[in-house]
Amino acid sequence: MSDELALSAQGLTKSYGRVQALRGVDLNIRRGEVLGYLGPNGAGKTTTIRCLLDLIRPDGGTLRVFGMNPQEKSVEVRARCGYLPGELQIDPNRTARGALRYFNALRGNSVDWDYVNELSERLQLDLKITIKNMSHGNKQKIGIVQALMHKPDLLLLDEPTLGLDPLIQREVLRLICDAKAAGTSVFFSSHIMSEVEAVADRVAIIRNGVVVEEAEPTSLINRAFRRASVRFKQAVDVEQLGKIPGVTVLSRDDGSSVLLQVEGEMEILLKALAALPVIDLETERPSLEEIFLAYYEDEGQEA
Amino acid sequence: MITVFRYTLRRYRGQIIGWGVGLGLMGILLVSMFDSIGTQTEALNEYLSVFPEEFIAFFGDFTDFGTPEGFLGVEFFSYMPIIVGIFAVTIGSGLLVSDEENGTLDLILAYPVSRTALYSGRVLAFIVTSVVILGLAWVGLALPMSWSSLKIDPDVLALPFVSLLAQVLIFGAISLLCSMLLPSRGMASMVAGVCLVASFFITGLAKINDKLEGVAKISPLNYYQAREAFDGLNGTWVAGILGVTFVCIILAWWFFRQRDIRVGGEGGWRLSLPSFRRGAKIEGSV
Repeated sequence: MSDELALSAQGLTKSYGRVQALRGVDLNIRRGEVLGYLGPNGAGKTTTIRCLLDLIRPDGGTLRVFGMNPQEKSVEVRARCGYLPGELQIDPNRTARGALRYFNALRGNSVDWDYVNELSERLQLDLKITIKNMSHGNKQKIGIVQALMHKPDLLLLDEPTLGLDPLIQREVLRLICDAKAAGTSVFFSSHIMSEVEAVADRVAIIRNGVVVEEAEPTSLINRAFRRASVRFKQAVDVEQLGKIPGVTVLSRDDGSSVLLQVEGEMEILLKALAALPVIDLETERPSLEEIFLAYYEDEGQEA
Repeated sequence: MITVFRYTLRRYRGQIIGWGVGLGLMGILLVSMFDSIGTQTEALNEYLSVFPEEFIAFFGDFTDFGTPEGFLGVEFFSYMPIIVGIFAVTIGSGLLVSDEENGTLDLILAYPVSRTALYSGRVLAFIVTSVVILGLAWVGLALPMSWSSLKIDPDVLALPFVSLLAQVLIFGAISLLCSMLLPSRGMASMVAGVCLVASFFITGLAKINDKLEGVAKISPLNYYQAREAFDGLNGTWVAGILGVTFVCIILAWWFFRQRDIRVGGEGGWRLSLPSFRRGAKIEGSV
């Protein structure tokens, strides 16, 4: 089983002084899998990624990348990884080509330069421009190219579409899909649900330094609440519907229509509605974004 | 390591040109001045004899100001540790931490380059840069000697530069070590800069105040030879300074290997001491 895992973390903890950034992160990524790592700012996404690359040392827990301990085999681990930091900084005095040549040299000049040109064309990146004269989006493109150019076995992308226009965002998602098709495992953090939903095989939601949910996006959506909008021929007692386990009345309109939130199976609600003069019933599943927000609303309530 | 060394050296091109050419030109100017000063040696000696003892303590022996060695000792080598010390402190404190503070180290260390290789490449580039800068300064003094009355054998002229190089390296290493321990590059520069200035004053004042002799023994500049190097380099002093430099470099390497690489906000204003809990907690798990 462990041979099939590109990445495995168990009980990962990390503190910055009194601030506990990771409180026991458990995470697995299989080879060739795309994992979307969701969480708001400060949840611990970047800290997790930086532990994987041995940029920071965890206080405790188990960490393996392709079966190797990043602290003991940091060079070997990094040779197989492509990394895009969340706050990308590159020497501003180089051209994009100069920066990429430097990164290539750090990889022992193993990069196929035709592939670099191909990636640059797909992202509409002009390699001749000096970095200090580039917009944030164009710098981000360099970051994406350098992460992909050596065709890594594991891609670690910290908010890859940050600052990019929608067309290039779509191209980046295509590049992630292409990398996956080539057998690359992808671990990317984001707080943009739509892109995670579009490319991720599984999502992990991190909250306060703990992974609170890990599942396939569709499974997560199916398991989550859905909304039901019901219209009645005449006013009914909607309070009765609110008493059904797992059903919450979100809004009502003098008893002739009601918006419900249903957690779990719909069966009990449908049975209850069968006894009422229903003229219309519409149900909709929540987006991943709504599910994500629900996790954080819970957090707010707990607080 | 070679890639890091090559790219770091390229980055220091400006430093090499600025400092090296600047010191070289200064050397040419000084040697050219010697001919005109040589004709007024007696008047100058009379003038310098009224200088206070404290002043002479900092700038060397004025009694042989009219000789090539005495002239260069006072006019060039006496205060050069402070001048090139500023270079050493600036470069040493930023050797790794400037990249850490601007965020570029985060990406470089995500490449298959070990921290030791990165560190070695950077330190080697600093050493080579220092040698080239002092080499250009040496050329600046040696070159005009062919047409000036100031004549010193080029090999002998190199001796105070060897002593000076040892000082550059030790203050660079102290600065590097400070940058590994303190929360910011600015603070490391400040602490190392204070060490440099304090060392200059303590060494100078110890020549006129016996009570400071004990303190001066731990001052790196106490083991610097300016004018004295022309009469023979004290190999023990140079070796001692280089030995301490080596210890500082090794300590800084050890701290760099142990500690977290910081990005904006992470780590805060705490000393970057390695976590001694790490081994115990990770043992058997990671």
